[in-house]
Amino acid sequence: MPLIGAALSRWTMSYFAVALLSLLAAETMMVAGLGFPAEALRAPTTLVLVHLITIGWLSLTMCGALNQFIPVLTERPLYSDRLPLPALGFLTAGLVALILGFLRLDGRVRVELPFLSVAAPLLGAGFALVIWNLARTLWSARSLSLPARFVAMGLAAVSVATTLGMIFALVLDQTATGSPFARLHAGALPIHIIAGLGGWLTISTMGVSYRLLAMFMLAPDIDEARGRATHWLAALALGVAVGGGFAAMLAEGSLATVLGAALMLAIAALALYGRDVLHLYRTRRRQTLELNSRMAVFALVNLALSAALGIALMAMGRFSEHVGAVVFLSAFGWLSGLMLAQMHKIVAFLTWLEVYGPVLGKTLTPRVQDLVEERAATRWFLLFFASVWAATGTLLAGNAPMFRIAALAMMVATSGLVSQMIKIRRLSHVPPARRLPGNAVQPMLLFTATKPT
Amino acid sequence: MTIEFVDVDVRPILRAGGEPFSVIMQAVEGLQPGQGVRLFATFKPIPLFGVMGSRGFSHEVIALDDGEWEVLFRPAGTSLTPPPAASGEVDAATWPEPSIDLDNRDLDPPEPMARILEATERLQPGEVLSALLLREPRFLFPELAKRGHQWRGGFDPERTTYKILIRICPSKAAQG
Repeated sequence: MPLIGAALSRWTMSYFAVALLSLLAAETMMVAGLGFPAEALRAPTTLVLVHLITIGWLSLTMCGALNQFIPVLTERPLYSDRLPLPALGFLTAGLVALILGFLRLDGRVRVELPFLSVAAPLLGAGFALVIWNLARTLWSARSLSLPARFVAMGLAAVSVATTLGMIFALVLDQTATGSPFARLHAGALPIHIIAGLGGWLTISTMGVSYRLLAMFMLAPDIDEARGRATHWLAALALGVAVGGGFAAMLAEGSLATVLGAALMLAIAALALYGRDVLHLYRTRRRQTLELNSRMAVFALVNLALSAALGIALMAMGRFSEHVGAVVFLSAFGWLSGLMLAQMHKIVAFLTWLEVYGPVLGKTLTPRVQDLVEERAATRWFLLFFASVWAATGTLLAGNAPMFRIAALAMMVATSGLVSQMIKIRRLSHVPPARRLPGNAVQPMLLFTATKPT
Repeated sequence: MTIEFVDVDVRPILRAGGEPFSVIMQAVEGLQPGQGVRLFATFKPIPLFGVMGSRGFSHEVIALDDGEWEVLFRPAGTSLTPPPAASGEVDAATWPEPSIDLDNRDLDPPEPMARILEATERLQPGEVLSALLLREPRFLFPELAKRGHQWRGGFDPERTTYKILIRICPSKAAQG
């Protein structure tokens, strides 16, 4: 069989569905005043909120997207089509156990079960399956293209973040005792956060965005020479933060110094990434930008704003006071904004390919644009970004009640986008007469009914 | 650059009912660098175009009187380099000239893919379609494979244009 490139990934829609539910759950918590900023950064409810966002929403979105796009990046089929579903099961069950475990710490859940000790192996197994499947696919495609190398770095980072997270969960549950574990739990939290948010989520997003933006805007791919510096600086920043961080802990040196150096490198890498992305927009052959590429601009601006805000706060010596606002802006304005924008496009494109691909050329078919109602989606996206900015403002101002109102607006915007994506899956925007021409089949909402080729 | 052509007239062989292939290939083997072949034949030697293309020769066809043909084979460097094979298994050298040429470079995705699949439905089994694109059509390949078509494609040296040749599956074409 010749190399046939990218087929449709069966479970990507299921990953997206659980991810969107997690995002809505997290937003509901913020509206209800549970967790940060109403409660302390280290409060158990804040941990629930943070992990709903980072594992439930951002990581599951990333995993679902990578299952589809690693084959596109590498020109290799996914190592296994069977692993994504059990991985999703482990991750979801692990996330639920983790949340119950945190709530038990808080006394809100009074069932005396070792939830955190159950969550650790479940999440470990889930991430291990994802990493194994994607890494084997990447390995079969050596030498890697630039976007794929970023994803490989992201996979290395998520293994560090997961391992530390498992240790923390076991320590909190007092399943793991002994001084090495206790020391890790006391000191390695910044490494866990940096490996997860900075390494896994940000670096993988950078890599995928190189290819997705080029693909959808018809721009030539970023060439090796241009992207190499960005790639090495990002790798260096991650290496210094993780490797240097552990070394500083072992030597009982200053973690802050190491992390400060890593931050400088990270800012330089982000600046180069910004330059690369600008180049993609400038060299695009597609004149009118589509919705996802327009909304990606907002997300990229938010990345720059997060970096600028962080630098400004550090210069004023008020970084630790407002670290929550910086993380919030980058998690929602940049990562969530970009993921929502690309997810909306990916759902439309994959649905179109699934339904109309088999009958293309044999009968008159709708275009991808016909599956989408751009104007309604644009309104929800604008509301989302506006409310993220408002929420960041209320965090900086220390106004928790106003934050809840902004979070409500975010939740409304997210619900609007979710309903748009459901309508895309249901082909609701396509006039009924044109919906299913020829042998076209209505898609399932939550998974792709791929036929063996 | 002027190209020196070696004349090969296979018309007598063809009129006598003979097979001229070995004679032509012998002439090609004996070429100096930079030399081309001027071939005279009693029919348009379409199968030869692929063979010569795979050896790096472009061709120009001139119709002569009496239904006879003159074909100029020029060495590489004077035209688009032939795309590397992508679809394995098939000896692409035997492919006929494209019956349809599409330039999909100005279309927004996934319109190029839709146009190509639409065009493949109009072709007869064994016919070839050629299309120019801006990017490698990764999502087109599974659809071509499903329909049993063969393809080969690659970027031009500047990596700005991707050229794909698709041959309609001789057995499965025109099936649902």
